[in-house]
Amino acid sequence: MRRDIIVIGGGAGGLAAALSAKEDKKDVLLIEREDRLGGILNQCIHNGFGLEVFKEEYTGPEYAEIYINKFHDAHIDFLLNTTVISLEKVEDEFILYTSSLAEGIQKYTAKAVVITTGCYERTRGSIIIPGDRPKGVITAGSAQRYLNIDGYMIGKKVFILGSGDIGLIMARRMYLEGAEVLGVAELMPYSNGLTRNIVQCLNDYDIPLFLSHTVTEIKADAENRLSQITIQQVDDHFQPIPGSKKRFDVDTLLLSIGLIPDIVLLDSLPVEYDPLTKSVKINQSCETTIPGLFIAGNSLQVHDLVDNVSKESERAGHHAAEYVSRKKTDGRTIKVLPGENVSYVSPQYIDFSWGNSEIICSLRSKQKIEKAALNVIQDGKTIVRKRLMYVVPAEMETFRLDIEDLDADSDILVSLEVLS
Amino acid sequence: MYDYVIIGAGIIGTCVARELSRYSVKAIVLEKENDVANVQTLANSAIIHSGHNPEPDSLKAKLNIWGNQLYDELEQELDIPLLRSGAYVVAHNEQEEAELEKLYQNALANEVPDVALLSFEEAVKTEPNLARSITKVLTLPTTKVTYPWEVAFACMENAMKNGMEFQKNATVTKIEPKDDFYIITVNNRQTIETKAVINAAGVASDDIAAMIDKTVEFKITPRKGEYFVLDNRMKGFVNHVLYPLPSEAGKGVLLTPQVHGEILVGPNSVYVEDKYRTDVSFEGLNYVKANAGALAENVPFHKIIRSFAGIRATSTYDDFYIQESKEHKGIFHFGGLESPGLSAAPAIAKYLLRDVIHIEKLFPEKPDFDPIRKKKPEFHTFTLDEKRKLIEEYPTYGNIICKCEQITEKEIVDAIHAPLGSNTIKGLKKRTRAGAGLCQGGYCEEKVMKLIARETGVSPLTIAYDATDSALFLEETKVEE
Repeated sequence: MRRDIIVIGGGAGGLAAALSAKEDKKDVLLIEREDRLGGILNQCIHNGFGLEVFKEEYTGPEYAEIYINKFHDAHIDFLLNTTVISLEKVEDEFILYTSSLAEGIQKYTAKAVVITTGCYERTRGSIIIPGDRPKGVITAGSAQRYLNIDGYMIGKKVFILGSGDIGLIMARRMYLEGAEVLGVAELMPYSNGLTRNIVQCLNDYDIPLFLSHTVTEIKADAENRLSQITIQQVDDHFQPIPGSKKRFDVDTLLLSIGLIPDIVLLDSLPVEYDPLTKSVKINQSCETTIPGLFIAGNSLQVHDLVDNVSKESERAGHHAAEYVSRKKTDGRTIKVLPGENVSYVSPQYIDFSWGNSEIICSLRSKQKIEKAALNVIQDGKTIVRKRLMYVVPAEMETFRLDIEDLDADSDILVSLEVLS
Repeated sequence: MYDYVIIGAGIIGTCVARELSRYSVKAIVLEKENDVANVQTLANSAIIHSGHNPEPDSLKAKLNIWGNQLYDELEQELDIPLLRSGAYVVAHNEQEEAELEKLYQNALANEVPDVALLSFEEAVKTEPNLARSITKVLTLPTTKVTYPWEVAFACMENAMKNGMEFQKNATVTKIEPKDDFYIITVNNRQTIETKAVINAAGVASDDIAAMIDKTVEFKITPRKGEYFVLDNRMKGFVNHVLYPLPSEAGKGVLLTPQVHGEILVGPNSVYVEDKYRTDVSFEGLNYVKANAGALAENVPFHKIIRSFAGIRATSTYDDFYIQESKEHKGIFHFGGLESPGLSAAPAIAKYLLRDVIHIEKLFPEKPDFDPIRKKKPEFHTFTLDEKRKLIEEYPTYGNIICKCEQITEKEIVDAIHAPLGSNTIKGLKKRTRAGAGLCQGGYCEEKVMKLIARETGVSPLTIAYDATDSALFLEETKVEE
């Protein structure tokens, strides 16, 4: 039986996308590889979720539960413990093969697909960290899962490389679980986590943050267990400064050095990649360059707040529903290009064949800017100018465009101007 | 009383074990690590060289060429993976072209099959990303790439099937000569009596030799090599092994396509003090990066998933050292089996038994020797119909544990319970590739850990990453009363 829409991934993104598609009266199937819905929220037992969507603070599992309850109330079909092993498009139809213990290999077809597969953590291999290669060097998210879901402590003397939010959250979590957390080193001169996490996870527990520092040596003991790390200050070109070495005796080094959208499933599809987001390019409807293939949440761009994952995915679900119902129309497509001080902007395209007039865009700054002006320029004309205070790479900025204001003939440039 | 004790279960020890298991001998392999193939065999370029490089008439040349041919046999008998990539050695200018010509003559002298010199234009047809600065290429069609750990597993499994014994976590601490036998002490407590000893201890071979001989004719001068691994989505970026011209320091920084699609970039070559320390360094990895550009255009360094280092057992002896001790009958040493040690390994084993030990005069061949080992199915390589059939029989093939490499529960459980099974995260990664992909185990390590706990009935607190004392966890937080 052909489904209207298949949603792949049952975390925050997938739940919201499935709900909105179902709300639009579409026949939806959600496929989740784990044994429960909720995704990574299940291991995020700290609070701070939901302020944007619900104006209230929840823990990760609580936030997930709200969506899971709605999801069940809406009677949406779903599969657990089921991995999508291939995804292809033949003419107007998507063909998915899944694998599971219960059902073996199954084939599903759909008119539209929404990818909400989240992201994975960068590991030691993806950056050069010199030194021995003992166990005890582990990504912060893996340590979080071991601690919060499985109930195992991986170590008691902890240092953290990278000030991403998971690293900061884990600094506090390990501290509260009785570990000695000796510090956090961040390569950049600013934190890569939310300000509130710096305050609530480090400052409140007197955990030092070493900005412009990186790990330059990892030492193992004779049994190849992590025993010591060395951090060093770096110069403007990120080169270690001699004489700035600090050594810490540790048994654990947590890595919080970045998240990468998990789009492995799109390998066999001719999608257009965006090296800036490390995901794929989309239009304003979260549609990839393959008609009917939608993507949202952390598999599209790594968000700082789950609330934004939910909102973006909800839109993707509605758009997928619209795609299933609408008549094909032709329209021009223009590019949205990142300009000065902008590390990326999403969507990368605006497709005038889509009816929705409001376009929600997001971007990240390349650097910390105290006072900035966001400029959206098309054909020499400023369409949007918005003043922003304290722009940092760690915090995503959003702005809106009205399609009525846009010209279908020329590309759009989005830049951040530094104001004095 | 054993007839032979083999010290070391790297590629050499396991190849010797398999050859020896053809004969009616009582023998055991002792390995100090918690697994087969855990030191040199674990971390190298995985290349079966053609034999173009060694000095003509050296043991290295002879055994490299022979070993290269024997891998075709091993592929048939042991079901090991071989990527018949061929190789190009590249030159960038007239001076290098002159060196390349010498290497070509060397390859001809070694009777390497099918070698030829190609222009850049000819070579780039089959290797589109070849660096534009290259002017001439020596093609070596018989160069192959294998999966060294699996060759070692296959040899050891097959040897065990034919009666060979194996003990891991067994460090030889003493070798004592008696009248016509030796007493080997393991881990300072267990003793083993044997008539003969084969020292295949790799980087430790000089230390083992020194336990018994007053004069050791070789000393290991360890050389470290560092590598990057590029994601297997880069498969096809290079199709051949790409070598620069060899130098004193070895074969140089290479680009090597791997059997599972990854591309290795490296190694550098640095003499080191500590033969067991496989750390990586800024200098080393930056050197590798800087030199890879001489081989191919736009090497995709943004696709690095891992870096690692390995130690070469370079020795002070000028060739492979494969000899009986001058002081003790029945003690056989391997020394300095650096590159092309992997390429030559199957030939080294035959050479030792045939030309050094003269085994055919000592022991009869077993009439029932079974040379065949079948590898367990690699599920993700099958067609949908094949997968369905297998899942009908074994439903746990349906449960995907390692998402990046699509490794299933059945494959991991099989690897835990196999005759040469493993109960560590790294051991299972080596056997199944769970955790070898893009996320490097970020997703599946926990699931593998739980499978080990379930299948072996132990607490997760005792599960090790690699060595027996490298437990993943320190303590449990939520202990139920």
